Amino acid sequence: MTDMVTTAKPVRTRRRIPTRTPHQAVHHASVAGRRGGPLASLTWALPALLFVGVLLVYPFFRSVYGSFFEDNGFTSRFTGLDNYTRLAEDPVFGRSLLNTVMWVAGTLLLPVVAGLAIAVATFRMRLGWLAQLVIVLPYAISGAATAVLWKFMLTSDGAVNEVLRAIGLDGLATSWLLEWPQNTISMIIASTWQAAGLNVVLFTIGLRAIPREITEAAELDGATGWRMFRHITLPQLRAMTVVVVGMAIVNSLKAFDMIWILTQGGPSRSSETLALTMYRETFRLFHVGYGSAIALVLSVIVVASSWVYLRRQMPEATGSQ
Amino acid sequence: MGRTVRNVFVAGCVAFWLIPLYLLIVNALTPATGYTGEPDWTPQGFAIFDNIKTAWSDAGIGDSFLSSALYAVVCGAAAVLVAAMAAFAVVVLPIPKPAFWFWLIYSGTLFPLQMFLAPLFGMYADGNLYDTRLGLMLVYVAWAVPFAFFLVRNQMTTMPPEVTEAAMLDGASFLRIFWRIHVPLMAPTLGAAFIFQFTAVWNDLILGITLSRSPDVQPVMAALSTLSNAYASSGPPVILAGALIVSLPTLLVFLVFRGLFLRGVTATARS
Repeated sequence: MTDMVTTAKPVRTRRRIPTRTPHQAVHHASVAGRRGGPLASLTWALPALLFVGVLLVYPFFRSVYGSFFEDNGFTSRFTGLDNYTRLAEDPVFGRSLLNTVMWVAGTLLLPVVAGLAIAVATFRMRLGWLAQLVIVLPYAISGAATAVLWKFMLTSDGAVNEVLRAIGLDGLATSWLLEWPQNTISMIIASTWQAAGLNVVLFTIGLRAIPREITEAAELDGATGWRMFRHITLPQLRAMTVVVVGMAIVNSLKAFDMIWILTQGGPSRSSETLALTMYRETFRLFHVGYGSAIALVLSVIVVASSWVYLRRQMPEATGSQ
Repeated sequence: MGRTVRNVFVAGCVAFWLIPLYLLIVNALTPATGYTGEPDWTPQGFAIFDNIKTAWSDAGIGDSFLSSALYAVVCGAAAVLVAAMAAFAVVVLPIPKPAFWFWLIYSGTLFPLQMFLAPLFGMYADGNLYDTRLGLMLVYVAWAVPFAFFLVRNQMTTMPPEVTEAAMLDGASFLRIFWRIHVPLMAPTLGAAFIFQFTAVWNDLILGITLSRSPDVQPVMAALSTLSNAYASSGPPVILAGALIVSLPTLLVFLVFRGLFLRGVTATARS
């Protein structure tokens, strides 16, 4: 859920980011005397600018700058692009990148597709709202609490293995969190359990927005089941799909809480994603400069992957810059 | 045939989603000493209050619970107020280059937190803010402002400008216009933003484990993480009871304010 804060994207409004009209107060000289000029207006934004500037924007540039140094927390030495060239040779970074790709692909495959399927299946179903409520409930639970619960499910003598043994599939019972790649895959499933509900809600909103006439006309033409879904529902959901996919990609890139509690990125760093690798390098191994370089790589990936989506969401805003 | 397939599919999904929740409750009910090492599938007692008590006092969830309550309420409210003022400046006031200020504040939500952590840690260590409640609260406000600002700004642009103009003609000051017109009219959006940021701060783990250490400062998810790492010593019933109790506030908020809560998320999706 915390991730959502940072990923939900602008509403598409027809208005541009206001320049002067029509929203902004017209700036008459006489009014300015009493109500204050542009500088007085800026004081309204000052608290926000101070918080964001000092605690987010400054650290951002400090991170970029720090990524050119070799820094162990006490002494630092300028090394130019060394941190970045080291990334290319670091096998841990390679595995971490691979896991990150797995997270993105897995999140597109599971929570998005499952969310769509569940939304379509429960739409206009009797008691469908109840099924949706059950599925969206874990979304209100934090990533940390979800991870604690799934640790209980996935440990070697956990509930999942117990079930597998009980139904005679002893061969499938395995140490889910202790070997790659099943540790990454099981964590993706755990995060599906938590996050798919949001996608169900979003897709349901999209389904409600489909005009009745369209589905009725298609029904008259004899479209049912799969054909209806493929040729009517899916194209009509396009706008919502872009939103859901955009959020899913960014959230999966930022996944941290779940992995940190379930495996701490282990064993032997096999389940780390970029977010984890940055944290471990910086705060456990004290490779601060190297960690900053990883953070910058992750940021570039996040911003690049949300760029298309941002542009669609705010065409006027990006244009007026 | 279609209907049967659909019902089976939905039933399967509901089962997949319910079983972990069921196991959470059932095993949190098991007395800590009576846990066999394997998950229980049927209630083995009614020790949930003992388990919660153990987690609350012995494992230090209680202190963190109260700290987090403070952080989430105060920082959520402060962030919404600060964000509303900034939105007012950008949308209504004659500020030069509003688009620039918009992107400056909004950019705070674009990047992963990892981008800010190392310098924040350094700044906090130098400024004696590391491991203090004040330090955590400051960073939570800063972290919550951009998205709250975004939500409020978007809603504010849909307000007819004539309302402001009429008030200006009547001679109202901007302060008065803000408190008497924009805040009341925007109340549902401000509420949604508050609930959203309350939940975000409550659920935060990474800022908590990075910028604090002592039990009376650490937020609740960091305390849960510590408890979970002591898996062997505490035993699953206590840990699950801990997970249950830290989830209660957000679950309650969600169930009571479901409309407002989802509004924060879905405001972005209606186009």
